[in-house]
Amino acid sequence: MTSTLQVKNLKVSFDMGRAGIQHALHGVSFDVPDQRTLALVGESGSGKSVSALSISRLLPDNAVIDPASQILSGGVDLLKLSEPALRKLRGKEITTVFQDPMNSLNPVKTIGHQIAEVLMLHVGLSPKQAWEQTKAVLDEVGIPDAGHRINAYPHELSGGQQQRVMIAIAIACQPRLLIADEPTTALDVTVQRQIIELLVRLQDKHKMSMLFISHDLGLVAELAHEVVVMRHGEVRESGSVEAIFTRPQDAYTQALLACRPRLNQAYERLPVIEDFINPAGRTLTPKAPPASGGEVLLTVDSLAKDYVIKTGLFSRKTVHAVKDASFSLRRGETLGVVGESGSGKSTLGLMLAQLLQVTRGEVTLAGHALTGQNAAQIRAMRKKVQIIFQNPYASLNSRFTVGRILQEPLKIHGLGGDESGRQALVLEWLERVGLGVDALHKYPHEFSGGQRQRISIARSLILQPEIVVCDESVSALDVSVQATILNLLKDLQKEFSLAYLFISHDLDVVRFMSDQMIVMKQGDIVERGAAADIYANPQHPYTQELLGSIPKGWTPERAAALA
Amino acid sequence: MNNFRTNNSAFPIGIGQSSTYPPMLNFLLRRILQMIPTLLGVVLLVFLLFHYFGGDPAEIMAGMNASQEQIDSIRQQLGLDLPLWQQVWQFMLKVATLEWGNSWATNESVAKIFQTRLPATLTVMTPILVIEVLLGTLAGLAVAYVRGTLTDKVVMVICTLAMSISFLVYIIFGQYLFAFALGWFPVQGWSNSVWTNLSVFAPLPVLLAVMVSLGPHTRLYRSFFLDEINQDYVRTARSKGLSEEAVLFRHVLPNALIPILTNVATQLPGIFIGSFLIEVFFSIPGLGREVYTAVNRSDYPVIQAATIYLAALTMVINLLTDVLYQWVDPRVKIK
Amino acid sequence: MLSKRHSNSLWGQVAARFRSDKTGMAALFVVGLFFVLVVSAQLGWVGSDWQAEVGQPFAPPHFVGAKADVKAAQEAQVPVRQLDISDMDPLAPYYDKWQQKASGMAFTQQIKQDTLPWGGDRIGRDVLQKAIKGAQISILVGLTAALMATLIGTVLGALGGYFGGAVDDALEWLYNVFNAIPYVLLIFALAAVFKSGPLAKVFSNGIMNVVVILSLVGWTGIYRLVRAEYIKHRSRDYVRAAEAIGASHFSRLFVHILPNISHVVLVQLSLHVVGFIKAEVILSFLGLGVSIDMVSWGTMLSESQTELILGIWWQFLAATCMMAVFVTAFALFTDALRDALDPKIR
Repeated sequence: MTSTLQVKNLKVSFDMGRAGIQHALHGVSFDVPDQRTLALVGESGSGKSVSALSISRLLPDNAVIDPASQILSGGVDLLKLSEPALRKLRGKEITTVFQDPMNSLNPVKTIGHQIAEVLMLHVGLSPKQAWEQTKAVLDEVGIPDAGHRINAYPHELSGGQQQRVMIAIAIACQPRLLIADEPTTALDVTVQRQIIELLVRLQDKHKMSMLFISHDLGLVAELAHEVVVMRHGEVRESGSVEAIFTRPQDAYTQALLACRPRLNQAYERLPVIEDFINPAGRTLTPKAPPASGGEVLLTVDSLAKDYVIKTGLFSRKTVHAVKDASFSLRRGETLGVVGESGSGKSTLGLMLAQLLQVTRGEVTLAGHALTGQNAAQIRAMRKKVQIIFQNPYASLNSRFTVGRILQEPLKIHGLGGDESGRQALVLEWLERVGLGVDALHKYPHEFSGGQRQRISIARSLILQPEIVVCDESVSALDVSVQATILNLLKDLQKEFSLAYLFISHDLDVVRFMSDQMIVMKQGDIVERGAAADIYANPQHPYTQELLGSIPKGWTPERAAALA
Repeated sequence: MNNFRTNNSAFPIGIGQSSTYPPMLNFLLRRILQMIPTLLGVVLLVFLLFHYFGGDPAEIMAGMNASQEQIDSIRQQLGLDLPLWQQVWQFMLKVATLEWGNSWATNESVAKIFQTRLPATLTVMTPILVIEVLLGTLAGLAVAYVRGTLTDKVVMVICTLAMSISFLVYIIFGQYLFAFALGWFPVQGWSNSVWTNLSVFAPLPVLLAVMVSLGPHTRLYRSFFLDEINQDYVRTARSKGLSEEAVLFRHVLPNALIPILTNVATQLPGIFIGSFLIEVFFSIPGLGREVYTAVNRSDYPVIQAATIYLAALTMVINLLTDVLYQWVDPRVKIK
Repeated sequence: MLSKRHSNSLWGQVAARFRSDKTGMAALFVVGLFFVLVVSAQLGWVGSDWQAEVGQPFAPPHFVGAKADVKAAQEAQVPVRQLDISDMDPLAPYYDKWQQKASGMAFTQQIKQDTLPWGGDRIGRDVLQKAIKGAQISILVGLTAALMATLIGTVLGALGGYFGGAVDDALEWLYNVFNAIPYVLLIFALAAVFKSGPLAKVFSNGIMNVVVILSLVGWTGIYRLVRAEYIKHRSRDYVRAAEAIGASHFSRLFVHILPNISHVVLVQLSLHVVGFIKAEVILSFLGLGVSIDMVSWGTMLSESQTELILGIWWQFLAATCMMAVFVTAFALFTDALRDALDPKIR
């Protein structure tokens, strides 16, 4: 099998000026076979995006590529090519689809112009010819009503459609190699499925090679032929997709495969990287059947949230973010809330955490009403209901030390006695979440994403609440880190008999965490029940669509298709 | 490495809203309604400022050696002994009907003063604004093209240095050197013909004003361009194989026009009051010099009228700019 | 057991980044020198007797040398012959008595110098002293006005941006009113009023009128930026988290959010210092700035305008150079500060 692209010993570092030199890639090599898809898989910081961007030399100005590195394609070393010669290849032979389509498209030009531009530049078409061809390309990538949409601006399209436009730009000139840098990471799971199917179809039709970059192993199994696993700027393992998934050799690869909670397996705790890197691994205990429900802690009755938007001089529009939600939460139990963007799940969580005004409905916690309270009463109830946010980089005040962050809730509610008593409590919690005592005087930016999330957890739990809202609390973390945080949450739940409202778009994670579950779509609860039942037997068509869109990973069907 | 989810649902943004009027009329009506309280605020501010903090108009008008009876009679004529709310009402009537009476110093009708002085100001200020923006854009673009190099740094330091010298120094020295010593331009003066003004009397003031503003404009416009160059869509444009020049002119410039337009819009109201320094130094009979003289002579009607009408003009210009935006930035929807 | 607090706070990082910027450090050094000068002048150690007429009118600077014709005139002075008119002089009998009285009094004869370190002005005042005193006044005005404007703009911007709703509407209205008036006109209107109104006596002595005028005109830019920052931050997770644990509005406003935008405020403060110094110079030039009995770089430039025609250039050069050096240094310092606070590879 010939290769479209051969990367040899790629070493890239970044000149951070006064902050020194940062080495991103330590000598990466891989081959992209002809008319096949190679997937680069890794977590954040693995260097996968840097590898991809190096091919077209689209790295930032301060990137330094080692002269001994080579990227060979069609007999030429792309790294040694002159700028004008490289530009002839870019957009024609080697094209790129980027991660964030909203920002990757020029906001002041129509999508027609942006696609026609490559056609006029590389294929030499006249403007009229290019326009016609653009309509054909838009059709091909699945944009409906191409004749009219060609005059649309990027912001008038949805995220999925924007990404289709990016793909259109990339395939318009029939490239030899398409580089896709996390093209679906920012999209809903149903939209993701459509885009992946499109890419597979296009690759087949145009007989092009594809370099697909992702952090999602399950996704990669569905479309890649070859897989390269990267970590910290190095290649850990590479091989055919079958080999990687059925016979992984490297410990890190094995860990990555195992850390993802899978729908067909129910563990009590998730295996983590350490379990594989350190041979003395843990045994994986299967999940015990849910304990017969504890007392009902929280009752939500017909909860609703409306937003009023001004649309004209005197006219207004009401958006129903949450419509008539009713459910209950038991002590020691987790209620999973699943939905895509716009479903209202976050709004629901924020209302329960008393951060948003409730429009209608009632919430009762152990007999006390949570709705319709005055400021003092709300403050008192804050001890009972807490929330853990999604973004570990934004949820901690970067100007406070960790000690101060954790002491603040105690000070506000007058807990812990005096200064030394509070500090003792803070240290106790730091240990409980797995951070050392020297974290006390450090600042958030000195910690990784996972560690920051631990600090957030400590801050929320230091008040000893009864209910914790987890609003996409692990969605921003790498897979391996997710596993450790989820395990921690489960441990704490058991120790303190906490009730969790676990909100996420990630169905695998929700399955792992939840006992009961509700599925939301555009403000409505469309299905509810025990998590295991819903996953085994979804009733509502939307739930079925959701579950069907999840990347299935390595399946026998796929093995058969490749054989 | 970004695992965050953006709000990308399957539905397009900007689903059509209902409205009973055409969108543009809607927008204009709403903006005009919003302008009214602001204009009222300006009128009130000017009135209260002069009423409570200004000198007694009767004393000023009567002059240094007036007797108490003269002052009282003037006070009565001006209506200063009326209750406060009546004075406010009188003031607003003056504003609405443009009846400001005469300047206290020259006894010339305030309206006439405006009429005759405005053309001179505009003759000088319009070329300045046009040249400033053009040169600033070119300079900013050029420096952005060579960003990070030594040229970039040297140009930035020169700009900083140029900005640290007072406008006064430019004028004094420029006038001395180019007019007095070298004799290339007349030192001062103005004529009645627009053409003579533009070709003989305006060039030196325009040259000096542009020199002063070149430094800050280059820095500012450079930052506009650099903000755009660091955006993701520029990387996409490069990945298409476009040359750096094509990227700058076809992709960066149209986007940078948005902040440039904003910048021009903030400067536009300023051209009507003009640069009073230039008018004073070069004896140009413009509005700026008029207001400056009025301040020295405590000629309240002129100052009050200038303040209020120019404020109104500023608001109108802002409104026009906002309308203009929708041609420059397609993300702006007039609703 | 517990490790010491190490300065890895964001400010510690900022300081480290700043220290490695050579241009910034040099600029800081120059600015520091000027500040020492300002403080010394404020305490009266230097420049306090700038009003003394110690030199000949238009005495040239030392390195230029006294005017040749002045020297010649002095040498050519012929001693005057004294005529004896004591028989006609009605005062003649009193001369001896007065002479005795006068010799009892000590007085110093001021010898007017031919050249001064940086030259002299029209009435022989030392230009160097004036430049130093002028530096003190101009820089003080710039700093004070900038501080006041920043204070007003930050507080109003914080309240408007954070609370939104009616509070924001009211503040936006106020901002629109001030912003609609071209700033030159607002300065003129305020100057006119402070000049001739009842406050004239309050402001007659000193720099407060200029400071008040500049702050009232200059708060709008800072308000806009701070308001935008507060709007951005109020829905950030760390603020929501603070709300979730029960922090009060005041705590969220000034203990949580403000430290996170202090870098924006700091840069604005620096920029306004430069802008206000330049504005003060122009205002004082026009006679609308500091009071008549004070000196600033603006008054020096005002005097030098006519001097230039006569070929006297030293006061002009002194004022221009002092101002240029300080403003350039401060501007470069601001640039370096900005870079240290928000390192972007530009």
